[in-house]
Amino acid sequence: MKDIYRGSLVRLADDSPEVLAKSFAKWDRDTEQHRLADSDPAQLWSEKKLKEFLEKRAENNSKSFRFSIHTLADDTLIGGVGLWINSWTHADTWLGISIGERDYWGKGYGSEAVRLAVQYAFLELNLRRVSLGLHAYNERALKAYEKVGFKLEGRMRGEGLRDGVRFDSLWMGILREEWLAAQGA
Amino acid sequence: MKNLFKGNLVRLSAIDHEEIGKTLSRHGRDSELMRLMDIGPTRLHSAKAASKFFEKMIEENSPAHHFFSIRALDDNRLLGDINLDAINNWGSRDSFVGIGIYERENWGKGYGSEAMQLILQFGFIELNLRRVTLTVFEYNPRAIRSYEKCGFHVEGRMRGRIIKDNKRWDVLHMGILREEWMEKNHDE
Repeated sequence: MKDIYRGSLVRLADDSPEVLAKSFAKWDRDTEQHRLADSDPAQLWSEKKLKEFLEKRAENNSKSFRFSIHTLADDTLIGGVGLWINSWTHADTWLGISIGERDYWGKGYGSEAVRLAVQYAFLELNLRRVSLGLHAYNERALKAYEKVGFKLEGRMRGEGLRDGVRFDSLWMGILREEWLAAQGA
Repeated sequence: MKNLFKGNLVRLSAIDHEEIGKTLSRHGRDSELMRLMDIGPTRLHSAKAASKFFEKMIEENSPAHHFFSIRALDDNRLLGDINLDAINNWGSRDSFVGIGIYERENWGKGYGSEAMQLILQFGFIELNLRRVTLTVFEYNPRAIRSYEKCGFHVEGRMRGRIIKDNKRWDVLHMGILREEWMEKNHDE
Protein backbone atom coordinates (compact mmCIF):
# COMPACT_ATOMS: atom_id res chain seq x y z
CA MET A 1 0.00 0.00 0.00
CA LYS A 2 1.19 3.49 -0.76
CA ASP A 3 2.09 6.10 1.85
CA ILE A 4 -1.00 8.32 1.93
CA TYR A 5 0.79 11.09 3.82
CA ARG A 6 3.26 11.72 1.00
CA GLY A 7 2.94 13.37 -2.39
CA SER A 8 5.64 14.49 -4.81
CA LEU A 9 6.14 18.03 -3.39
CA VAL A 10 4.84 17.85 0.16
CA ARG A 11 4.04 15.51 3.02
CA LEU A 12 1.41 15.78 5.75
CA ALA A 13 2.91 15.93 9.22
CA ASP A 14 2.15 16.66 12.84
CA ASP A 15 4.09 19.33 14.72
CA SER A 16 4.21 20.20 18.39
CA PRO A 17 2.39 23.32 19.66
CA GLU A 18 5.79 25.01 20.14
CA VAL A 19 6.77 24.58 16.50
CA LEU A 20 3.32 25.51 15.17
CA ALA A 21 3.03 28.58 17.39
CA LYS A 22 6.26 29.95 16.01
CA SER A 23 5.08 29.65 12.40
CA PHE A 24 1.50 30.80 13.11
CA ALA A 25 2.80 33.95 14.82
CA LYS A 26 4.90 34.70 11.76
CA TRP A 27 2.12 33.99 9.21
CA ASP A 28 -0.50 36.00 11.10
CA ARG A 29 1.58 39.15 10.68
CA ASP A 30 0.70 38.93 6.98
CA THR A 31 -2.92 40.15 6.76
CA GLU A 32 -3.26 39.18 3.10
CA GLN A 33 -2.46 35.60 4.06
CA HIS A 34 -5.03 35.78 6.85
CA ARG A 35 -7.77 37.25 4.66
CA LEU A 36 -7.37 34.54 2.05
CA ALA A 37 -7.66 31.79 4.64
CA ASP A 38 -10.15 33.12 7.17
CA SER A 39 -13.28 35.22 7.48
CA ASP A 40 -12.72 36.33 11.07
CA PRO A 41 -11.02 39.70 11.60
CA ALA A 42 -7.23 39.61 11.52
CA GLN A 43 -5.73 39.41 14.99
CA LEU A 44 -2.24 39.33 16.39
CA TRP A 45 -1.51 36.73 19.03
CA SER A 46 1.80 36.30 20.81
CA GLU A 47 3.69 33.07 20.31
CA LYS A 48 2.99 32.21 23.95
CA LYS A 49 -0.76 32.71 23.62
CA LEU A 50 -0.78 30.67 20.41
CA LYS A 51 1.12 27.85 22.08
CA GLU A 52 -1.36 27.70 24.96
CA PHE A 53 -4.27 27.77 22.52
CA LEU A 54 -2.76 24.95 20.45
CA GLU A 55 -2.02 22.83 23.52
CA LYS A 56 -5.62 23.11 24.66
CA ARG A 57 -6.88 22.38 21.14
CA ALA A 58 -4.80 19.23 20.92
CA GLU A 59 -6.61 17.79 23.94
CA ASN A 60 -10.03 18.11 22.37
CA ASN A 61 -9.64 16.53 18.98
CA SER A 62 -12.39 14.03 18.33
CA LYS A 63 -13.98 15.64 15.29
CA SER A 64 -11.03 17.10 13.44
CA PHE A 65 -7.98 15.81 11.63
CA ARG A 66 -5.30 18.47 11.27
CA PHE A 67 -1.99 18.24 9.51
CA SER A 68 0.90 20.55 8.94
CA ILE A 69 2.38 20.69 5.46
CA HIS A 70 6.11 20.13 4.96
CA THR A 71 8.04 20.38 1.71
CA LEU A 72 9.73 17.17 0.67
CA ALA A 73 12.75 19.07 -0.70
CA ASP A 74 13.97 20.59 2.58
CA ASP A 75 11.26 19.78 5.15
CA THR A 76 10.15 23.42 5.52
CA LEU A 77 6.85 23.90 7.38
CA ILE A 78 4.80 25.93 4.88
CA GLY A 79 1.17 25.69 6.06
CA GLY A 80 -1.64 23.51 7.34
CA VAL A 81 -4.60 21.52 6.10
CA GLY A 82 -7.41 19.99 8.11
CA LEU A 83 -10.67 18.07 7.98
CA TRP A 84 -13.55 18.92 10.30
CA ILE A 85 -16.20 16.21 10.31
CA ASN A 86 -19.59 17.73 9.60
CA SER A 87 -21.51 14.58 10.17
CA TRP A 88 -20.48 10.95 10.54
CA THR A 89 -24.07 10.00 9.73
CA HIS A 90 -23.94 11.65 6.33
CA ALA A 91 -20.20 10.97 5.99
CA ASP A 92 -19.37 14.57 5.10
CA THR A 93 -16.44 16.74 6.16
CA TRP A 94 -15.27 20.33 5.80
CA LEU A 95 -11.80 20.90 4.46
CA GLY A 96 -9.66 23.94 5.20
CA ILE A 97 -6.16 24.83 4.06
CA SER A 98 -3.73 27.68 4.16
CA ILE A 99 -0.21 28.08 2.90
CA GLY A 100 1.33 30.55 5.34
CA GLU A 101 4.63 30.94 3.50
CA ARG A 102 4.01 33.28 0.57
CA ASP A 103 7.00 31.97 -1.36
CA TYR A 104 5.07 28.75 -1.85
CA TRP A 105 1.90 30.31 -3.31
CA GLY A 106 0.88 29.40 -6.85
CA LYS A 107 3.39 26.57 -7.20
CA GLY A 108 1.23 23.53 -6.65
CA TYR A 109 2.09 22.92 -2.98
CA GLY A 110 -1.40 23.78 -1.75
CA SER A 111 -3.12 21.77 -4.49
CA GLU A 112 -1.12 18.72 -3.58
CA ALA A 113 -1.84 19.12 0.14
CA VAL A 114 -5.58 19.35 -0.66
CA ARG A 115 -5.27 16.24 -2.80
CA LEU A 116 -3.63 14.35 0.06
CA ALA A 117 -6.28 15.52 2.53
CA VAL A 118 -9.12 14.49 0.19
CA GLN A 119 -7.46 11.11 -0.29
CA TYR A 120 -7.23 10.75 3.50
CA ALA A 121 -10.93 11.60 3.81
CA PHE A 122 -11.98 8.99 1.25
CA LEU A 123 -9.47 6.17 1.80
CA GLU A 124 -8.73 6.40 5.52
CA LEU A 125 -11.87 7.93 7.04
CA ASN A 126 -14.18 6.32 4.45
CA LEU A 127 -16.19 9.53 4.07
CA ARG A 128 -18.51 10.09 1.12
CA ARG A 129 -18.22 13.81 0.52
CA VAL A 130 -15.78 16.68 1.14
CA SER A 131 -17.07 20.27 1.34
CA LEU A 132 -15.20 23.56 1.48
CA GLY A 133 -15.83 27.29 1.45
CA LEU A 134 -13.83 30.20 0.09
CA HIS A 135 -14.06 33.93 -0.52
CA ALA A 136 -14.99 34.89 -4.09
CA TYR A 137 -11.90 37.14 -4.31
CA ASN A 138 -9.59 34.16 -3.85
CA GLU A 139 -9.40 33.14 -7.50
CA ARG A 140 -6.17 31.24 -7.12
CA ALA A 141 -7.79 28.95 -4.55
CA LEU A 142 -10.86 28.44 -6.75
CA LYS A 143 -8.61 27.25 -9.59
CA ALA A 144 -6.66 24.96 -7.30
CA TYR A 145 -9.82 23.34 -5.92
CA GLU A 146 -11.23 22.85 -9.42
CA LYS A 147 -7.98 21.19 -10.42
CA VAL A 148 -8.37 18.73 -7.55
CA GLY A 149 -11.92 17.94 -8.72
CA PHE A 150 -14.16 20.10 -6.52
CA LYS A 151 -17.27 21.51 -8.20
CA LEU A 152 -18.64 24.97 -7.48
CA GLU A 153 -22.01 24.42 -5.80
CA GLY A 154 -23.11 27.75 -4.43
CA ARG A 155 -22.59 31.44 -3.96
CA MET A 156 -23.90 33.30 -0.92
CA ARG A 157 -24.39 36.79 -2.24
CA GLY A 158 -22.79 39.61 -0.30
CA GLU A 159 -22.06 37.46 2.72
CA GLY A 160 -18.88 39.22 3.79
CA LEU A 161 -17.66 42.78 4.17
CA ARG A 162 -14.04 43.83 3.89
CA ASP A 163 -12.49 47.22 3.12
CA GLY A 164 -16.07 48.52 2.86
CA VAL A 165 -16.89 46.18 -0.02
CA ARG A 166 -19.39 43.32 0.04
CA PHE A 167 -18.10 40.03 -1.30
CA ASP A 168 -19.66 36.65 -2.05
CA SER A 169 -18.82 33.41 -0.28
CA LEU A 170 -18.50 30.34 -2.44
CA TRP A 171 -18.72 26.73 -1.53
CA MET A 172 -17.62 23.63 -3.34
CA GLY A 173 -17.93 19.89 -2.96
CA ILE A 174 -16.55 16.62 -4.23
CA LEU A 175 -18.31 13.26 -3.94
CA ARG A 176 -16.55 10.01 -3.25
CA GLU A 177 -17.74 8.46 -6.51
CA GLU A 178 -16.43 11.43 -8.54
CA TRP A 179 -13.06 11.21 -6.84
CA LEU A 180 -12.83 7.44 -7.33
CA ALA A 181 -13.72 7.77 -11.02
CA ALA A 182 -11.00 10.40 -11.48
CA GLN A 183 -8.40 8.14 -9.82
CA GLY A 184 -9.15 5.35 -12.24
CA ALA A 185 -8.66 7.63 -15.25
CA MET B 1 -46.96 51.58 13.19
CA LYS B 2 -48.25 48.09 12.47
CA ASN B 3 -47.96 45.10 14.76
CA LEU B 4 -44.96 43.13 13.53
CA PHE B 5 -46.06 39.98 15.30
CA LYS B 6 -49.44 39.62 13.65
CA GLY B 7 -50.47 38.47 10.16
CA ASN B 8 -53.80 37.38 8.67
CA LEU B 9 -53.67 33.71 9.59
CA VAL B 10 -51.06 33.46 12.31
CA ARG B 11 -49.21 35.40 14.94
CA LEU B 12 -45.76 34.99 16.42
CA SER B 13 -45.94 34.42 20.14
CA ALA B 14 -43.66 33.96 23.11
CA ILE B 15 -42.79 30.36 23.82
CA ASP B 16 -43.92 28.42 26.84
CA HIS B 17 -41.28 25.77 27.45
CA GLU B 18 -43.70 23.23 28.92
CA GLU B 19 -46.24 23.61 26.14
CA ILE B 20 -43.66 23.39 23.37
CA GLY B 21 -41.82 20.54 25.09
CA LYS B 22 -44.99 18.48 25.39
CA THR B 23 -46.10 19.26 21.83
CA LEU B 24 -42.75 18.57 20.21
CA SER B 25 -42.28 15.36 22.14
CA ARG B 26 -45.63 14.16 20.77
CA HIS B 27 -45.05 15.29 17.18
CA GLY B 28 -41.44 14.14 17.27
CA ARG B 29 -42.79 10.60 17.17
CA ASP B 30 -43.48 11.28 13.50
CA SER B 31 -40.07 10.70 11.96
CA GLU B 32 -41.11 12.43 8.73
CA LEU B 33 -41.61 15.73 10.55
CA MET B 34 -38.18 15.43 12.17
CA ARG B 35 -36.55 14.61 8.84
CA LEU B 36 -38.08 17.70 7.26
CA MET B 37 -36.85 19.89 10.11
CA ASP B 38 -33.41 18.58 10.88
CA ILE B 39 -30.39 17.10 9.16
CA GLY B 40 -29.15 14.96 12.07
CA PRO B 41 -30.32 11.43 12.78
CA THR B 42 -33.87 11.60 14.10
CA ARG B 43 -34.13 11.03 17.87
CA LEU B 44 -36.90 10.72 20.43
CA HIS B 45 -37.12 13.10 23.39
CA SER B 46 -39.42 12.88 26.38
CA ALA B 47 -41.69 15.86 27.09
CA LYS B 48 -39.56 16.52 30.17
CA ALA B 49 -36.27 16.56 28.27
CA ALA B 50 -37.73 18.76 25.52
CA SER B 51 -39.18 21.32 27.93
CA LYS B 52 -35.90 21.40 29.86
CA PHE B 53 -34.10 22.18 26.60
CA PHE B 54 -36.41 25.11 25.88
CA GLU B 55 -36.34 26.29 29.48
CA LYS B 56 -32.57 26.52 29.25
CA MET B 57 -32.81 28.38 25.95
CA ILE B 58 -35.17 30.95 27.52
CA GLU B 59 -32.83 31.36 30.51
CA GLU B 60 -29.84 31.95 28.27
CA ASN B 61 -31.78 34.76 26.62
CA SER B 62 -29.27 35.25 23.83
CA PRO B 63 -29.66 38.70 22.24
CA ALA B 64 -28.93 37.19 18.83
CA HIS B 65 -31.45 34.37 18.95
CA HIS B 66 -35.17 35.02 18.39
CA PHE B 67 -37.43 32.05 18.94
CA PHE B 68 -41.21 32.27 18.54
CA SER B 69 -44.16 29.95 18.63
CA ILE B 70 -46.57 30.18 15.70
CA ARG B 71 -50.24 30.33 16.71
CA ALA B 72 -53.42 30.36 14.62
CA LEU B 73 -55.29 33.66 14.86
CA ASP B 74 -58.75 32.05 14.79
CA ASP B 75 -58.44 29.70 17.79
CA ASN B 76 -54.97 30.45 19.18
CA ARG B 77 -53.81 26.84 18.75
CA LEU B 78 -50.10 26.13 18.61
CA LEU B 79 -49.04 25.37 15.00
CA GLY B 80 -45.26 25.34 15.12
CA ASP B 81 -42.17 27.38 15.77
CA ILE B 82 -39.83 29.68 13.91
CA ASN B 83 -36.44 31.00 14.91
CA LEU B 84 -34.04 33.56 13.59
CA ASP B 85 -30.41 33.55 14.56
CA ALA B 86 -28.67 36.83 13.79
CA ILE B 87 -25.05 36.22 12.90
CA ASN B 88 -23.37 39.53 13.45
CA ASN B 89 -20.29 38.12 11.92
CA TRP B 90 -18.06 41.19 11.79
CA GLY B 91 -20.55 43.37 10.02
CA SER B 92 -22.08 40.73 7.76
CA ARG B 93 -25.54 41.25 9.41
CA ASP B 94 -26.49 37.87 8.07
CA SER B 95 -28.92 35.55 9.82
CA PHE B 96 -30.16 32.00 9.72
CA VAL B 97 -33.83 31.07 9.88
CA GLY B 98 -35.52 27.75 10.70
CA ILE B 99 -39.20 26.85 10.81
CA GLY B 100 -41.42 23.85 11.57
CA ILE B 101 -45.18 23.30 11.38
CA TYR B 102 -45.81 20.31 13.61
CA GLU B 103 -48.98 18.61 12.47
CA ARG B 104 -49.46 17.08 9.06
CA GLU B 105 -53.00 18.44 8.85
CA ASN B 106 -51.60 21.98 9.12
CA TRP B 107 -49.09 21.53 6.30
CA GLY B 108 -49.65 23.23 2.96
CA LYS B 109 -52.19 25.76 4.27
CA GLY B 110 -50.08 28.90 4.18
CA TYR B 111 -49.37 29.04 7.92
CA GLY B 112 -45.66 28.51 7.48
CA SER B 113 -45.37 30.94 4.58
CA GLU B 114 -47.05 33.69 6.55
CA ALA B 115 -44.92 33.04 9.64
CA MET B 116 -41.86 33.26 7.41
CA GLN B 117 -43.06 36.56 5.96
CA LEU B 118 -43.55 37.89 9.48
CA ILE B 119 -40.08 36.90 10.57
CA LEU B 120 -38.50 38.40 7.45
CA GLN B 121 -40.24 41.65 8.24
CA PHE B 122 -39.02 41.41 11.83
CA GLY B 123 -35.47 40.70 10.65
CA PHE B 124 -35.31 43.49 8.12
CA ILE B 125 -37.19 46.33 9.81
CA GLU B 126 -36.73 45.54 13.51
CA LEU B 127 -33.28 43.94 13.62
CA ASN B 128 -32.05 45.81 10.51
CA LEU B 129 -30.43 42.70 9.06
CA ARG B 130 -28.79 42.64 5.68
CA ARG B 131 -29.63 39.13 4.60
CA VAL B 132 -31.48 36.02 5.75
CA THR B 133 -30.19 32.56 4.92
CA LEU B 134 -31.73 29.11 5.21
CA THR B 135 -31.07 25.54 4.21
CA VAL B 136 -33.66 23.06 3.00
CA PHE B 137 -33.48 19.48 1.84
CA GLU B 138 -34.17 18.29 -1.68
CA TYR B 139 -36.91 15.96 -0.42
CA ASN B 140 -38.95 18.91 0.90
CA PRO B 141 -40.35 20.54 -2.27
CA ARG B 142 -43.29 22.05 -0.38
CA ALA B 143 -40.89 24.09 1.76
CA ILE B 144 -38.81 25.14 -1.25
CA ARG B 145 -41.94 26.48 -2.98
CA SER B 146 -42.98 28.32 0.17
CA TYR B 147 -39.55 29.95 0.57
CA GLU B 148 -39.55 31.03 -3.07
CA LYS B 149 -42.98 32.55 -2.53
CA CYS B 150 -41.49 34.56 0.37
CA GLY B 151 -38.75 35.88 -1.92
CA PHE B 152 -35.82 33.57 -1.21
CA HIS B 153 -33.50 32.64 -4.07
CA VAL B 154 -31.68 29.33 -4.40
CA GLU B 155 -28.01 30.25 -4.07
CA GLY B 156 -26.45 26.85 -3.95
CA ARG B 157 -26.93 23.15 -3.85
CA MET B 158 -24.61 20.89 -1.90
CA ARG B 159 -24.84 17.77 -3.99
CA GLY B 160 -25.55 14.58 -2.11
CA ARG B 161 -24.80 16.25 1.22
CA ILE B 162 -27.13 13.98 3.16
CA ILE B 163 -27.87 10.29 3.05
CA LYS B 164 -31.30 9.04 4.12
CA ASP B 165 -33.05 5.80 3.22
CA ASN B 166 -29.81 4.74 1.56
CA LYS B 167 -30.07 7.54 -1.00
CA ARG B 168 -28.12 10.74 -1.49
CA TRP B 169 -30.04 14.04 -1.29
CA ASP B 170 -28.94 17.61 -2.02
CA VAL B 171 -29.05 20.37 0.56
CA LEU B 172 -30.19 23.68 -0.94
CA HIS B 173 -29.03 27.02 0.43
CA MET B 174 -31.36 29.94 -0.08
CA GLY B 175 -30.97 33.61 0.68
CA ILE B 176 -32.83 36.89 0.52
CA LEU B 177 -31.14 40.29 0.57
CA ARG B 178 -32.46 43.32 2.38
CA GLU B 179 -32.89 45.31 -0.83
CA GLU B 180 -34.84 42.48 -2.48
CA TRP B 181 -37.24 42.31 0.43
CA MET B 182 -37.59 46.10 0.65
CA GLU B 183 -38.46 46.38 -3.00
CA LYS B 184 -41.28 43.86 -2.65
CA ASN B 185 -42.67 44.72 0.75
CA HIS B 186 -41.91 48.10 2.04
CA ASP B 187 -43.44 50.83 -0.02
CA GLU B 188 -44.16 53.41 2.66
